[in-house]
Amino acid sequence: MLNWFKTVKALKEKGVLGMNDRNYSVIAKYNDRSLYTLVDDKVKTKQLANNINISTPKMIGIIEHQYEVKNLVKIVEGYKTFVIKPAHGSGGKGVLVIKDFDGEKFYSASGEVLTFKQVYQHVSNTLSGLFSLGGRYDVALIEETVNFSDVFKNFSYHGIPDVRVIVYKGFPAMVMMRLATKESDGKANLHQGGVGVGLDVKTGETLKAVLHNKPVTIHPDTGANLMDLKVPFWREHLLIGALAYDMTGLGYLGADIVLDKNRGPMMLEINARPGLAIQIANGLGLKTRLEEIDKHYPLGLSAEERVDFVLNN
Amino acid sequence: MKLAQIFSVRKSLTYLLILSMIYAAHSIYFKVKYWGFSFSPKEVTDIWTVDAKISFDAVDDKTRVILSVPSQNSRFNILSEEVVANGYRITQDREKNRVVFDGKGKKGRQNMYYRLSLYKDAKPNVVRDVPQKLERPILEEEEKMQMTKIWELAQLQEGDKVQKAIKVVNQEMANPSMSLVLPLKHTAKEFAEKLIQILAYKRIPARIARAVKLEEGKKTEKPGIMIEAYVDDSWKLYDLNTAKIGLPNNWIVFQRGGVSLLDVRGGENSKVMFSVLKSVATPMKMAEHRAKSNQALSQYKYSIYTLPVLEQNTLKWLMIFPLAILVVVILRNVIGVTTMGTFTPMLLAMSLVKTGFVEGLICFSIMIFLGLVMRAVVAKLNLLLVPRISFVVIFVILLIQLLTIVGYRLDSGLVSSAIFFPIIITAWIIERASITWEEEGARNTIKEILNTLLTAVVTYFVISNETVRHVMFAFNELNVVIMFIVMLLGTYTGYRLTEITRFAPLVNKD
Repeated sequence: MLNWFKTVKALKEKGVLGMNDRNYSVIAKYNDRSLYTLVDDKVKTKQLANNINISTPKMIGIIEHQYEVKNLVKIVEGYKTFVIKPAHGSGGKGVLVIKDFDGEKFYSASGEVLTFKQVYQHVSNTLSGLFSLGGRYDVALIEETVNFSDVFKNFSYHGIPDVRVIVYKGFPAMVMMRLATKESDGKANLHQGGVGVGLDVKTGETLKAVLHNKPVTIHPDTGANLMDLKVPFWREHLLIGALAYDMTGLGYLGADIVLDKNRGPMMLEINARPGLAIQIANGLGLKTRLEEIDKHYPLGLSAEERVDFVLNN
Repeated sequence: MKLAQIFSVRKSLTYLLILSMIYAAHSIYFKVKYWGFSFSPKEVTDIWTVDAKISFDAVDDKTRVILSVPSQNSRFNILSEEVVANGYRITQDREKNRVVFDGKGKKGRQNMYYRLSLYKDAKPNVVRDVPQKLERPILEEEEKMQMTKIWELAQLQEGDKVQKAIKVVNQEMANPSMSLVLPLKHTAKEFAEKLIQILAYKRIPARIARAVKLEEGKKTEKPGIMIEAYVDDSWKLYDLNTAKIGLPNNWIVFQRGGVSLLDVRGGENSKVMFSVLKSVATPMKMAEHRAKSNQALSQYKYSIYTLPVLEQNTLKWLMIFPLAILVVVILRNVIGVTTMGTFTPMLLAMSLVKTGFVEGLICFSIMIFLGLVMRAVVAKLNLLLVPRISFVVIFVILLIQLLTIVGYRLDSGLVSSAIFFPIIITAWIIERASITWEEEGARNTIKEILNTLLTAVVTYFVISNETVRHVMFAFNELNVVIMFIVMLLGTYTGYRLTEITRFAPLVNKD
């Protein structure tokens, strides 16, 4: 018991943000509910992003109604590889990555061979809300696949590594990279066994890495030294985060960014309620960081200026 | 958010909480004092039934019986009065506290009954009548000397004047010089009458009081005699033997003053036999009578306790919800337990109250297990969401039907309690569990189910407590307090208990 009080005191001193505090003092204060619709719908987010030149995976088409599902082959004509995802999905639910389409058979990224009927069923399920929050009717979004940069090849096991930038009042506040492991089965969620790598917001270099809340220095499957990780195009990553604020108006958001071999950093989605595990990956308290921004960071800067301010302070 | 800038939310809620607590405290005090409500569900009010059986031989054509009865102004409240006398005209004289029976052409032994039900009130009533100013009686010289002597001796005794007089008469009784005052063999009534004379000499008004002891199964022809004297502007009762002030516990004064207890005209061999019986009632049943006698009836009429029993039972069930909600809020926002659905554990706990704890848990486990197996089979069919959850709902209904039949045939309450589980909630738990299973694996699913069950069990133990349920119903204003506590918890920004463990690696040295 005494130990607990000590821990609480230490956590407070370090400025660790708790769930209640996040909901009450940050999200309820700076994230207007009406703005949620901008980030809940991936089609809308994509359009907004394209308006202000944030690059996102290129949209091939959308399927809104059941009767349109049969047009799928026509929509993806000329594409060998594409991704089908629910517009209102979250946490990677219902995302189908087609690695190869030969006009008849669909080869998925996880190695399955699917017939048109099976893909048809998947899209149909998506429309009826199988993967969306609360089971409401949804839209299937078809977009180009990301050509993942080889930079992170050794750092992730089968899955897609992404960079999560927490943006507070438009300033990139804290960053981490999420790496998939054998255990996490291609997904990069930390509670499913992904590796979280805290990155220095100024340099994009590793601060600390955790697996199951415990510090690690090498990737459990690939053996890569996590301390060597350095994200290229760092300024561009931060800029996407800063622009996400301009685009949505959300005072507290998490932008998920992937690095494309040809097009550079691209935004995948924006989260209006980003989690708190990033603190463990960074070994830093988020509250301290938010207070620092509240107190010392200037108002009224453009996205570029905000990123420069973060990089130079 | 604008409102929050003008007032500090937390501060305003704290004030509201304090206000609601003051309101609740006042209301509880009022209910306890004027309605006799109690905090314990087992508390009962003793109801004393005193039967006075009057019997006499009628000799005249016209007979009249007058029985003195207790007034409202005693330590007990009258619950009901009942008079049975065949062929007699009955008049109740409230002012003089008596019942008059008038009969015509009666012959032989006559029996009549007066039955009185009483219960003790929370606050004792005071006798308020003021006696006339007493003139010093004119006495012969001899008597005068006696009185002076008695009062001289009385000065040596302790207590107030009345107590002194009682003690002197008791002590000096054996003294031959006293025989003139009171014969050695005397009745309590004679004793009391003499005492009234002695007190009158000092101009203290006094009167006889006849009291019956309330004792289960007691039967007596002779009520106890006490003396009531007007001292320091109030009537006080004195024991004739010990000179103790006040009516002993569980005694009730039937009659006071000069009139006799029973007065029979046109009859002889009259006697009155008192018998006492005891029964019990819950304070809630007595509340209306108490409220009436305390002039608090209008408030009582607009309370939930005057509603029909069916409505009351429904409300009693509802009144426990806020507390269950508070438990859930604390478990989620202060402890940090993650459960399936916000109020699912609470509804589960409610079902457990109806099914019984062990039976309910076993039955629930069977249903969830079978439901999950069935759901896993159906998952392969790739049904759309709404039809799929509808299937689970129907499957749960069929399962409940089956379990109830099996339970009935095996004569086991264990499985037939299935009928009390909320169908939709059970179906959603199954659906959510199977989705979690697919997406996050078995470990997370079992963890989530166990968390949900744990929360339900904690809630169950709070709301199944008899005392808690009684208190939340009898003192339903506590729900207002709970409402503000819940709102105040909505501003709690401290760490959840589980977060302390979660974030501990951030501050602990490895």
